Amino acid sequence: MRSKKKLLEQPGFWGFIFITPWLLGFLIFTAGPMLTSLWLSFQKYDLHSSKFVGVENYRRLFYEDPLFWKALKNTFVYAIFAVPLGIIGSLCLALLLNQKVGAQKLFRTLFYLPSLVPAVASALLWQWIFNADNGVLNTFLHWVGLPAVEWLQDEKYTMSAFILMSLWGVGGGRMVIFLAGLQGISDSYYEAARIDGAGPWSQFRNITLPLLSPVMFFNLILGVIGAFQVFTSAYVMTGGGPNNASLFYALYLFRNAFEYFKLGKASAMAWVLFVILLVLTAIQFGVSKRWVYYEGESK
Amino acid sequence: MKRTLLVAIAVCLVGCGDQSTSKKVQLRYMAWGNPEQMALEEEFCQEFNRQNPDIEVKFFRVPGSAYLNKAIVMFASRTSPDVVRIDHFNFASLAKKDYFLNMNPLAEADADFHKDDFYPQAIREGMVGSQLQGMNVMFGATIVYYNKNLLKKNGLQDPYKLWEEGKWTWEKYREYAIATTVRDESGRPKVFGTQIAGWPLYVGTIWGFGGDIFDKQGNPTFNDPKTVAGYQFLADLRWKDKVCPTPAQGANSAFTFESGKLAMIVDWMGNTPRFRKVIKDFEWDTVPIPSGIGGAVPPVKGNQLIIYRESKHPKEAWRFVRFMTGPWVEERLYCQRKRNFPTRRAQANSDAYLKSTEPPFNTASMVKAVEIGRELPITDRWGEVSTIHTMEIDNLWSGRERNAKVVLDEIQRKVIKMLGEEEGF
Repeated sequence: MRSKKKLLEQPGFWGFIFITPWLLGFLIFTAGPMLTSLWLSFQKYDLHSSKFVGVENYRRLFYEDPLFWKALKNTFVYAIFAVPLGIIGSLCLALLLNQKVGAQKLFRTLFYLPSLVPAVASALLWQWIFNADNGVLNTFLHWVGLPAVEWLQDEKYTMSAFILMSLWGVGGGRMVIFLAGLQGISDSYYEAARIDGAGPWSQFRNITLPLLSPVMFFNLILGVIGAFQVFTSAYVMTGGGPNNASLFYALYLFRNAFEYFKLGKASAMAWVLFVILLVLTAIQFGVSKRWVYYEGESK
Repeated sequence: MKRTLLVAIAVCLVGCGDQSTSKKVQLRYMAWGNPEQMALEEEFCQEFNRQNPDIEVKFFRVPGSAYLNKAIVMFASRTSPDVVRIDHFNFASLAKKDYFLNMNPLAEADADFHKDDFYPQAIREGMVGSQLQGMNVMFGATIVYYNKNLLKKNGLQDPYKLWEEGKWTWEKYREYAIATTVRDESGRPKVFGTQIAGWPLYVGTIWGFGGDIFDKQGNPTFNDPKTVAGYQFLADLRWKDKVCPTPAQGANSAFTFESGKLAMIVDWMGNTPRFRKVIKDFEWDTVPIPSGIGGAVPPVKGNQLIIYRESKHPKEAWRFVRFMTGPWVEERLYCQRKRNFPTRRAQANSDAYLKSTEPPFNTASMVKAVEIGRELPITDRWGEVSTIHTMEIDNLWSGRERNAKVVLDEIQRKVIKMLGEEEGF
């Protein structure tokens, strides 16, 4: 009786009680399916029947499936260009929208609007922009005397088109985070720098960038994870073509799971992606010690 | 006193209950389609319920994009509706998993059911070995739709007349496509003669050239010289004759038959209601696909109504399947609305089907197309074959490789390898 009373008096006990719904949700809807998919990755499973096959799904992925490597390569190339360009774009936009000019709130709203367009709708819009025959982009190229490009039909240009399209999101959540980070930098730093004769570039390089580096790091981690999960645009615009030039990892995984019903193989792909992202995130954390500056931290 | 009251309440409740529904056998029927098709099927279910007071069919509609996934999950979880419409592309692979009921005993016990009433291809598509496991609906063949105005403008004889005279050949089709392709002064295409149909509609062209994609034993024959000739003919229409839009030119539906920018297309008969609805500013009609050294052989295909193997009411489900494939439904769906083609010969040859007040007027061409048509070689591994084919043939259709033999050798190699491997990896 006494021990029961003691338990009820423990603050930790009530903490657990209060987070029980979340814990149950996590165990049932996240951890449970994750472990199930790990188990399925060792099975040949098509919803109808399953058979334990050991590491066969992984072996076939690595040694017998050229499309797996193609999808992985496409996704890496996409991430290498789209993530830095996206971060630079969002940062530039945030810097512009942080200027004290008239109609500042209107501009912020306008630049944020594209990110509110549903992914499928924006993919259809970009499909029209990239149209080789009468698209906006080729019309512009024609005006400046450049030849038309088959953006989504010629495999040489498809990846560039997707990277260009990824810039559509520069005004979204990432820009808002940068803007919040910029507003968190005290004006006193800039004031002191100006008194010392520092110009705008020097202020940006020596104040803004270091103090914004944790925000940049956060955006980088999320950007890399997001880039490895790119799916909707390719699914809607090209279906992975031409000649698998836009076959991204998540699209190939989706096809295996829900078009070919190779759920064991798809689960193995999901776990390979998980490991890749884990390693990339760990590397980023390791490297971050060299360039991320936390205010108040001594280096 | 208390007991008497309870009994009285119970009697009252039973008396008030809807006896008509409590005694009815409840059936669930699942299908997909556009709003018009769904409205018609709902109407048919209501009519069936009216004619069969002991059964109540509940219509369960699922969007087409999610349909196969939904059906597979419901079969695997043993929660399938009693009657399910299945696209024939997926029929063999699902039948292999033993989800469908053998309808032979039900058909044999039904004095009014005669296989001979139906087109033999329609029956064969629903057979798994010697078992009838599916009854065909939404049946039809591929056909050529042509823009009469564009052909007349170029002084070309009506293809239907040529077909009647036995002169409607693939070479003539090519001539017509060349004659009707129009470009402006800058060389920009305004109208194309034709387009390359989607897979596997153009198998009819391959058959016309005497080729095939599988032989009678089920071995792939993609790189057979006659098959190659058929594919090369199609590729040349695009890359040599330039009478088909390239993928870039055809993007965003820039050239469609209904917009009047394509003179001829090969497509399923099921497109007729859509064309009837949207084409208002030119005349159009239909003709069977042209002939070649292999004859004129259009592919035929339908959907199958299956009874779920674990349905608790197979007899009632059979009655519903019979109604949905019976004359009453066929007349409304296929004769009046031309949504597809009747599976019953009597309906196809009736005045209700043949006499038309709006295009297509050459309804006899539809009947002929089905009579001479052949089923596609769809097996339980069709999905994997299609995946390989679609991926590789893109090299030919997009012009990365213009020699069909090179592409088809690769398809042949990959299909043989795939068929030799264990399924499902």
